[in-house]
Amino acid sequence: MNGCIVVTGAARGIGRAIATRLAANPSFTVIGVDLSADLADVDDIVPVQVDLTKAEGVEMVKLAVIEAGVPLLGLVNNAGITRDSRLVNMTDEDFDAVLDVNLGAAYHLSTALADLIAENGAIVNIASRAYLGNFGQFNYSMSKGGVVGLTRALALSLAPHVRVNAVAPGLIGTEMAMAIPEEVLEKMVAAIPLDRMGTPAEVANVVWFLLTPLSSYVTGHVVVVGGGRSLS
Amino acid sequence: MNIFRVQHVGDDWGEVHAELHRAFEMSRSAAQAEESFVYVVHHDDLLGRRGPGKAMVATGLLSAARTAALEGARKGWSVNVVAYDDDSDPETVERWAEKLATDAAGITGELIRIGPSHLGKALP
Repeated sequence: MNGCIVVTGAARGIGRAIATRLAANPSFTVIGVDLSADLADVDDIVPVQVDLTKAEGVEMVKLAVIEAGVPLLGLVNNAGITRDSRLVNMTDEDFDAVLDVNLGAAYHLSTALADLIAENGAIVNIASRAYLGNFGQFNYSMSKGGVVGLTRALALSLAPHVRVNAVAPGLIGTEMAMAIPEEVLEKMVAAIPLDRMGTPAEVANVVWFLLTPLSSYVTGHVVVVGGGRSLS
Repeated sequence: MNIFRVQHVGDDWGEVHAELHRAFEMSRSAAQAEESFVYVVHHDDLLGRRGPGKAMVATGLLSAARTAALEGARKGWSVNVVAYDDDSDPETVERWAEKLATDAAGITGELIRIGPSHLGKALP
C-alpha cells in the first residue's frame, strides 16, 4: 500500500536513520520533521522545518500530510533533547524544556494526526532505555516514561484501527553519544553484554518491524534495543 | 513527609505538565534535604487504561522514581511508587506510602502495588 509516514527529529541520528530506511522503499513518502534545516539536503524526504512544541508547528505537519495526497500510514515520534544534571541541581527551565519536547510534542502530534492515520496504520514512539532509570536524567527519564504511558493509552484508544508501540534505544552511536567523554563511554560500553554501542540503523530496523504488517498483532509494547544492558 | 499524590489530571497537556512539574519541585526539594519520597498513582494509569493524560503522569513518575532512586542510593535516601486500584483500602495505601517515605528499610526504586488488579497484566 502506498502512503506517507511522518518521522520527527529526522535531521540526524536515529531519526535520520529511520527516515532514510523508510524512504528507501518506493511505496512510502516520508515527511521528515525537524527544528533544524539540515533535512533540506536529504534526498527522498519531504522536509518540514517546525517547532513541534508550538501549535502552529503541529498544524504545519498536518497540512503537509494532507498535501501529500496519499494515506497516512504511520507516525514516528522521535524528536528529543537532553538537559542532564543531578536532581538536586536541575533547573525549572531544563525540566520544562525536556518535558515539552520529548513528551509534549509527541502527544500533540499524535493527537493531531490520529484521525488521519489509515486503517491498520501504526504509531511508533521512540522512548529510551532511560525509562527504566538512568543517573542524572530525572527530566529525560520522566519524559520517556511518559512516552511509554502515552503509548499504552493510545494503543488502547486507537485499537483496533491503529497499532501503537514504543522503541527504547540504549546506547546508540549518534552525535549525542560521541559527545560523551571517551573514558566514560568505555565504561558504558563495558556494561553492555553485546560489548558495543548500537547503530541508528539497528533502531530503524525495529521501527520498520513495528510500523509494518510484520508486527500486525503487536500493540502497546515497548521494545528495548539496548544490547542486553538492562540485564547487566 | 514527602508523599506526592497525583491530583485530578485530564487529557489537557497543560494539566499534565503542571502535575509533573509539581512532582519535580517536591522531588528536588526532598533530594536537596536528602529525604526519601514517594509517589502515589493509580494502577490503571500505569497501563494507560484511563486516558493519555493520567497515563503520562503515572508512568512518568515511575520512571522518575527509578532515576531518582539511583541518585538517592549514593546518599542514603529512597524513592518508591505506591500503586492502588479502585478496591484498595485507602488506609492501607496511606500506611504503605508513609512507611516508604519515612523508613523504606532498603527498598528503593520499587513499585509497590496494593491489590490484585495487576496480576496477569503487563509489567510497567
